[in-house]
Parts: sequence; C-alpha cells; structure tokens
Amino acid sequence: MSPKANVSLLLIFSSMALALVLTLIPLPNSVAVGRPAFFAATAIFWAMMQPRRFGIISAWVCGMFLDASYGTPLGQHALALALAAFVVNRLKDLYWGFPILQQSVALLPVFALYEFVLFWIDGASGRTVEPLWRWLPVVSTTLFWPFWVLVLERFAAIDVQS
Amino acid sequence: MSPLFPKGPSPNIKIVAVLIISLGLMMIDHAQEAIHPLRSGIAAAMQPLQLAAELPADAVEFLSKYIDRDELIAENKELGQKVLLLRARLQKLAALEAENERIRGLLSSASSLDEDVLIAEILAVSPDPYLHYMKLNKGSIDGVFAGQALVDANGIIGQVTAVNMMDASAIMITDANHGIPVEINRTGLQTIAQGTGKTDRLLLPFLANNADVREGDLLVSSGLGGRYPAGYPVATITRVSHQAGDEFLNVVAAPTASLNRGREALLVWTQQATHINPEANNTASPRNAKDDAQPAATAADTATSEQNTGTPASAKNPNAAAQ
Repeated sequence: MSPKANVSLLLIFSSMALALVLTLIPLPNSVAVGRPAFFAATAIFWAMMQPRRFGIISAWVCGMFLDASYGTPLGQHALALALAAFVVNRLKDLYWGFPILQQSVALLPVFALYEFVLFWIDGASGRTVEPLWRWLPVVSTTLFWPFWVLVLERFAAIDVQS
Repeated sequence: MSPLFPKGPSPNIKIVAVLIISLGLMMIDHAQEAIHPLRSGIAAAMQPLQLAAELPADAVEFLSKYIDRDELIAENKELGQKVLLLRARLQKLAALEAENERIRGLLSSASSLDEDVLIAEILAVSPDPYLHYMKLNKGSIDGVFAGQALVDANGIIGQVTAVNMMDASAIMITDANHGIPVEINRTGLQTIAQGTGKTDRLLLPFLANNADVREGDLLVSSGLGGRYPAGYPVATITRVSHQAGDEFLNVVAAPTASLNRGREALLVWTQQATHINPEANNTASPRNAKDDAQPAATAADTATSEQNTGTPASAKNPNAAAQ
C-alpha cells in the first residue's frame, strides 16, 4: 500500500475495533501475559501509514478506550500509545523503506517503549509489576506484526480501490 | 514527509500537550474518583465491543450444553442431590438461626445473621493479567453500592469498587492492592490477608514467629473494617515457613472461592453494613440510616430484626434470605 493513498476512516475505525475485541477476549492468565498488543500494533500501523488520518491525538483517544476497558488509571495506555505514535510519526520515512520483516524488528524498540511506559506508570502508581513477564508482549507483538500488516494492507488495498 | 503548509499544531506540541493531560488525568484518577463519570461514559460506549469479545467463550459454553446430553443429565442428577443435601442442612440452620437470634436478643446485641443476596453474572474479568477486576451485570438500579461484598458458594470473591447504572466493577481479594481482615477459624487469631496478584495465593504478613498457625487452617472474614460480613470463608493456609532471623512468619494461603472460573457471584447486603456509618452508630435506630442504599426486599427483614431486639425471635423463614 502506498502511504500516500488515503484509506477511509471506516476502515481505520473498524480495524481498531477488531483489535480491541482481540485484546479483550478472555484468556487464561498464563496465555494472557504473552498476548500480543493487538491494539497498540494496529494504532502504530495507522500512525505510520496514515499520519494525516491517524496521528498522536487519535492514538491518545484510542488509548483512553483501552484504559476504560482495562480499569487502569485513565491516561496510562493513552499516554503510552501517544508516545509510540509520536515516535513512528517522526520516523515514518525510515519505516516506510523497510521490508515487512525488517520493519517488525525495527519496531521492536517502539513496542518496548510502549510496554515500558505502562510498566513505569504501574510502578509509579503503586501497583505490583512483574518485570520479567512484562516484556513478553514486546516479543509476541514483533512476531505478530508481519501477519497483521499483511491483513491490514490487503483490506486497505480493497478500500482504496473502491 | 510533512506537508508544505502544515495544518494544526506540530507533533512536538501535540505530544507535550498529551503528556501533560495524561499525567494530570492519572493523578486525579489515582487520588480520587473525580473522573468516574468520564470513565463510565467511555465504558458504556464500549459495551458492544465488550460483549463481542465475550462471544467466543459464551458460544462455546452454550454449544457444549447442547452437544453433550449425557453430561447434562449427569449434571442435573448431581444438582438434585446437592439440593437435597442443602435442604437438609437448611432445616437445621433455621433452628440454629432462631436460637442464635434469641441468645443475641438476651445479650441485646444487634442481629447480624440476616443477609440478603442478589445473584450477579460476571460479565468480564480484567483482560490485564496483572489486575484482578471483574465486571458484573448489576448496577445502581439493583441497589448495588461501592464497597459491597461479593461471595460465591465457597467463599469471598471480593468487593464492589465502582457502580454504574447497569453494571458494576469489583476487585478480587487476590489483587495486589487488596487486603481483607480475616481471623483464623481454629484460634480466632486476627490478621490481614493480602492479595499477591496471583489468583491462587494470598499472603498473611506480620504474623509473629510464635503465632499458632498451621497448614490447612481455614481463614474466615472477621468483619473488622465493616466492609465484609463476618464469618465467610476466605482462604485456607497452604504453607507456613519461617526463615531463621526473620521476625515474622511467611504464611501463604489459597482462596476458597473459585476466583477465575465461576460465571456468577452473589452480592451480599448485610445488616451490619449499617454500622459503618459513624453518625448512625450512636443514634437510637441505627438501621434506618442506610436503608436507602438497600433494595426494597430488605425493608421487610429490617423491620423484623428491629423488633427482634425487643422481643425474642419468632421462627422467621430463613428461606427468604437464602433465595
């Protein structure tokens, strides 16, 4: 997909909704600690590919929805998502140039930043955190990224044509 | 690539603004419940998505009931037997309850046996593995209030933390931010059971080296603090260890309630809940103070128990409370 083609807001919205559902599906605790950050990955994808449609503020608003459904302090996921969107927004020219697999590896620091902000706020607000398991989603999101991008790009291509 | 004539503020300004707003929001959220309406508004908007997320699990459960007829028959049989057993026990309970109330009447202390319950369905548990919250399908319409205790067939699950109109969220006793006052059933020793963030363990800190604690001891809620009704099982002690040089024992307990498995929970209205209110404590009829928060169903019971302080209990029908 060319980053310059504008996809419809409907596609962005429905993909975010789908990602949120994937995030909320109840899983056993042992699996849930390694659940990829579907929602963050989708937001980062749109922030990278459609910076004019989906920017920092959109990411922040989306994060508020995540906060409300997680029961975390309002603003925690919002801030983490906005920061991640900010980074990919600044570095989008770089990321556009990468093939998908390299792109996912290059995004690992962004996912790590996202998890770190969550981790840091958890610690600051006095909630217990388990340092080791906390990084599992970073790895799983990196692994999941290429597949998710293929799906999203397929939909975006259909959307731009129609 | 940025446009030649960018519209709106630059990303740098945006991120700084977002940073400040987020930090401010989090501080307010952490300190008080001021932005609760905002949170419940967003949560209400997300209800359809929440339901969609629950769909796969619900569908599997629904279908499994239809597919396996033998299992259904077996379950039905088992339930029938259980009902018989419970009924037999209930007969005894009626007598015991009457006796207890009579004796309490003699001591002229408040009756605390009457508890009303309401079955709530657990809509969702927190998808964040580090937070032990759940969402219930009963809200302020049903008279649910913040701080209300939540139990299941085997013990205490947790307490309600926030109430919306149609739903409520509750914290489980295993959340790392939760502590519940308990006593050891065998000895009456008072202590606190803290959540650890793991669904199968609670921690009992600050028990002295020589405290009489054994593996297998049952912990029941002590009712101190006024949040939880007294006498409900909370956990059984699974490990007692002591490291030489430590001042306190290292005691681990496992919750008796099935915290992560059930689909339903009971909300409890206690008569004792009225005593939390400090102003109500010294008035002549303390029970009236919080009646507004209770559903209409409790009104009748409240009236009878008020008479009980003066006259010995007539054999009241305990089934009303059990339903």
